[in-house]
Amino acid sequence: MVDIDSLRRDWVGKEFHRAEYTIGQQQVLDYAASCGDTDPRYSDPSNPDFEAHPTFIGCLGNTRDAMTPQDFPGLGRGRSIDGGKSVEIHGPIRPGDRLSARSEIADIYAKTGRSGTMLFIVHRLNFFNQNEEPVATVDLRQIKAVED
Amino acid sequence: MRFSDVELGDDLPETHPDISMERVKLFVKSAYMDFPRFTDHEFAKAEGLPGAIVPGVMSQGFLAAMIHQWAPGAKIHKLDTVFRTTMVVDTSATCRGAVTDLNEESHLVEVDLTMLNHEGVTSVIGTATVELAD
Repeated sequence: MVDIDSLRRDWVGKEFHRAEYTIGQQQVLDYAASCGDTDPRYSDPSNPDFEAHPTFIGCLGNTRDAMTPQDFPGLGRGRSIDGGKSVEIHGPIRPGDRLSARSEIADIYAKTGRSGTMLFIVHRLNFFNQNEEPVATVDLRQIKAVED
Repeated sequence: MRFSDVELGDDLPETHPDISMERVKLFVKSAYMDFPRFTDHEFAKAEGLPGAIVPGVMSQGFLAAMIHQWAPGAKIHKLDTVFRTTMVVDTSATCRGAVTDLNEESHLVEVDLTMLNHEGVTSVIGTATVELAD
């Protein structure tokens, strides 16, 4: 049986990776166009409130290094299940911004149901702009079956 | 659409996003996700998928676009989704939403979201917290 308390103590809330991204205008425009979003805040560079689409940030940092610490233990059995993704916006992201993505394990918890015990691991990316202002938090939830 | 115009239970006008290969290719290039399982039907089939699949994050973009279409100028504070099954590129899709909560003080509304694939199966479920103009 996995020791959840020990895992939480060892891993939760500790930054383990950083990456930087520069936001391009054409990239922002293409993203909004591909989603069919014609709101001028995301599709018109001449709009005074022009910024990246709110879900754009969810595309950044989806690498193994950014998601899981190198020495994180292999948990459970079989493949993991995608438990969903949330994007929380704290401030605008504009073309030319240089973002820092800081990774942490935000939570580890277990739930037990008919199919046994499932372990939930919440991978979090905290994004800051070049002025160290928080602009977004992205959580990815990973689910793994574990021995009861 | 202003906060005062919205009532609990209101349905958002459904949308039918373009999930053609052309759109998906545009998306994956802008989103650092240019992988063949999204853009090559034969490659995806060889991996056991029914065809090239629409990236899950792109579904979030479609759902946000539906919210902006319903309430131009609305500000999405949070969008949380769970991807339940695949959507195949070059088929069709439907986005739906309904207002499930209203906060009179903050003018935030909660919207339940679903996205259906071409067979009418729910592919994505989610919620959004949205700020509407006064």
